[in-house]
Amino acid sequence: MDLKNSIKEYRQNKCLTQQELADKAGVSRQTIISIERYRYKPSLELGMKIALSLDVKIDILFYLK
Amino acid sequence: MTISKKEISILIEIIFSVLFTIIFLPYFYENLFTSFDFSDVAESADLQANSTLATKIIQIIIFAVIYFSITFSVLEFFYKSKTVLDERDDLINSKSYKLGYLLYEFCLFLFIGALFAALFANSSFQNNGTIIFLIILLLIMVSIIKSLYQLYLYRTL
Repeated sequence: MDLKNSIKEYRQNKCLTQQELADKAGVSRQTIISIERYRYKPSLELGMKIALSLDVKIDILFYLK
Repeated sequence: MTISKKEISILIEIIFSVLFTIIFLPYFYENLFTSFDFSDVAESADLQANSTLATKIIQIIIFAVIYFSITFSVLEFFYKSKTVLDERDDLINSKSYKLGYLLYEFCLFLFIGALFAALFANSSFQNNGTIIFLIILLLIMVSIIKSLYQLYLYRTL
């Protein structure tokens, strides 16, 4: 099972660009791109920051598949 | 294909290593069999070689300062956005520096082995010019491999 996420869907629902989400979470745009493409698995702290930025619970945003 | 500010910084480092190899390494290669005397009481015959080495070191320092000042100023001029360093950068840096360290350690062991072997044979390792050349070559190689791996990780991770 791999760690997947729905960051792209929630980000687009909120009409946020990758750069805006990156600024809110305090990371670079490249990091958001990598996470959205499942190339990079974020730490729990970063996952929570992204979830907070998107107003979603972390267990909804990240899931195992 | 877009390239980020961090990737350009790594490219600048790689280009520096290549330029250093082209401009300064030939001098150390030409002095493979020279014995540089680093003590205060140098023989008169070695004085010229030592002063040339000192001049070369000063040239390298000036070249590095000018090169990095110009390239990073140009980079800052074109990429005005502030660089954000996050956990992904930390991961990439730790992976690439680990590879660089392992390579350096491996080469150093080979180098020490060669030095010990030279004790039993009349080899060129008896000149410190050879040792200086090999150490510089080793550092450049490791630096380039480390930077290339860093660039690869930035593209794939």
